[in-house]
Amino acid sequence: MSRTPTEPPARGIEALPGDLMMWVLIVSELLVFGAGLLAFMGVRLTDPAGFAEAQSHLDRTGAGLNTMILVTSGWLAARAVAAAESADTARTRALLAGAAALGVAFLWIKWLDYAAKGAAGITFETHPFFTFYYLLTGFHAVHVVAGIVILGLVAIRPRAPTVEVGAMFWHMVDLVWVLLFPIIYLLGAGA
Amino acid sequence: MKYQTQKIAYAYFLVAMILFAVQVSMGLILGWIYVSPNFLSEILPFNVGRMLHTNSLIVWLLLGFFGAAYYLVPEEAEREIHSPKLAYLQLLILIVGTAGVVVTYLFNLFDGNFLLGNEGREFIEQPRWVKVGIVVAALIFLYNVTMTVLAGKKTAITNILLLGLWLLSLLFLFAFYNPANLALDKQYWWFIVHLWVEATWELVMASILAFLMLKLTGVDREVIEKWLYVIVATALFSGILGTGHHYYWIGMPGYWQWIGSIFSTLEVVPFFGMMAFAFVMVWKGRRDHPNKAALLWALGCATLAFFGAGVWGFLHTLHGVNYYTHGTQITAAHGHLAFFGAYVALNLAIITYAFPILKGRDPYNQVLNMASFWLMAGGMVFMTFTLTFAGTVQTHLQRVNGEFYMDVQDQLWVFYVMRFGSGVAVVLGALLFIYAVLAPRREVIEPGPVITTAAE
Amino acid sequence: MSITRAWAVLMALSLASTAIAWSGAGGVWAALAILTLAWGKAQVILNRYLRLSQAPDISRGVALVLGLFMAGVMGLAVAGG
Repeated sequence: MSRTPTEPPARGIEALPGDLMMWVLIVSELLVFGAGLLAFMGVRLTDPAGFAEAQSHLDRTGAGLNTMILVTSGWLAARAVAAAESADTARTRALLAGAAALGVAFLWIKWLDYAAKGAAGITFETHPFFTFYYLLTGFHAVHVVAGIVILGLVAIRPRAPTVEVGAMFWHMVDLVWVLLFPIIYLLGAGA
Repeated sequence: MKYQTQKIAYAYFLVAMILFAVQVSMGLILGWIYVSPNFLSEILPFNVGRMLHTNSLIVWLLLGFFGAAYYLVPEEAEREIHSPKLAYLQLLILIVGTAGVVVTYLFNLFDGNFLLGNEGREFIEQPRWVKVGIVVAALIFLYNVTMTVLAGKKTAITNILLLGLWLLSLLFLFAFYNPANLALDKQYWWFIVHLWVEATWELVMASILAFLMLKLTGVDREVIEKWLYVIVATALFSGILGTGHHYYWIGMPGYWQWIGSIFSTLEVVPFFGMMAFAFVMVWKGRRDHPNKAALLWALGCATLAFFGAGVWGFLHTLHGVNYYTHGTQITAAHGHLAFFGAYVALNLAIITYAFPILKGRDPYNQVLNMASFWLMAGGMVFMTFTLTFAGTVQTHLQRVNGEFYMDVQDQLWVFYVMRFGSGVAVVLGALLFIYAVLAPRREVIEPGPVITTAAE
Repeated sequence: MSITRAWAVLMALSLASTAIAWSGAGGVWAALAILTLAWGKAQVILNRYLRLSQAPDISRGVALVLGLFMAGVMGLAVAGG
């Protein structure tokens, strides 16, 4: 992705790194999650006490750990892109595998969280908080699954552009989580 | 006309325009029934008239899409259509099926018969034998067009067009599944109704619009394809889960209210994209194409689709709003401008573009065609405003104040009179359009300077 | 900022927000602090992991929209106490 110094620097949309269609997808996803989170914050105003009570049932530690897992996984994916750009296939594959493995770890912890909710009889309909909780984290978890599959697919024949596209999807999943986690799990927790 | 088999499109467009005339005339009758409710109540009950209005619309739009495909696929794939005979057989099946529906409903025949009786589900009320005919016709079409494309050049335009047509045909299969549970019935019903007009038809629309832009503006194919892919991606991203905006009040779980609200709000994006696409292409284009009327229809289509489908759809898509406006005249306002802008204008654009070439006399009666655009578009926009006001008043009186439905209808009378007036303009516009397209006249406008660049 | 530096910053910001939550600090100020940290993390992911810094025009536009979003969330957080 480095440019020769004689080329004039690209401007506007031409300068966008990676595949344009992946950016279209990323922006679309961010709009959906952003709207969902704003709606969550808006509905929260109607029942602050109920939301705080509902939130106290969440596994904050597990979710905090999951943030670090995803951020680290993103780091591995970003290094996989660099490895693919220097045509180091073995290293690219190893880094992608590491990123995907951390994705699986994320899902495992998320699953424990869901299982605990299920055991406590908490469903979509229990409280508006949990409608948003299941919708937003569930939708995110589906993207984690998709991301793991995508990382696996690009690892089969790891060329730099495809690895970059896969990693971009993975970073989007990461980005959504760092916004979703504090809003759903942490806001108002100390009160 | 570069390929002989493009001539197939002529027959499709012709039948489409006949049904178009039937559709708008039926609309005018219905508009009068709103003004004077007992009009024709013995011979043409409102529900039958309404069925004919909506179904003839859908059939003629589909015939237009098929015609557009038969017109543009040879040019894109650089091949003659695989089998013209099959194409005409397909048209014949569709005509017989349509006639069958009309006769069955008008004379109320074969009630309750498994094969011959009407099915009574809005938009898919065709008797079962007609549904089978539609599937057979669709299979013939898909076979014919796919074989042509497979043998020839594959472009983004034909790929997206075929994807849209394949998916919409497959979705039609849900018409055969009719669960006894009314909530489930509606759930699957929307797989056809919503996923047609707010997903797969948008793919057809985007690809036909792209073809028109390619021909009319002369912008590079690569640029057009990039736009096309972005529009299609956003259409599918928002449209598929946007189905949720029909699941608010039919007994589906409550989370659909949020899924539906958020995704269907994003459905504005592809329509905005198509409008931006059309105007940017015209602005960038170097070609001064003589068929100004086709360009007017294409730009009008993108613009009115954005307002009718995008803006008027968003008006009542959030579940907090829809709770009050559901099923009022707001829906009718949206339905009319969305269908006219997105799909009627699209078909009229491709017809306006293709007909002079099919008849070998381009360009021709432009002024009458453009006048018909302004008549129809003006009438439709006025109708949309009228119905929007009617719907606003209705929402307040009926849903907020809790007055009885029929009492409210009495108070909406003046809006229905105005709506009828705008309907007259639309019907006159439609007849004028058909005349302008068909009647052989010498050209009225001086053709612009034709710059002979290598095509595309 | 290298990828590894970006990762270190992200980890530090994550630890900081977890620490605030663990400390039991509540109320509006804690909420604003947590959201500011999330904002920072999002910017790092956008500009370093997703390499948006290569496209300065778009990076600025995205930063603006993200800023508006964060302002909206913060406003709602303050309103909700």
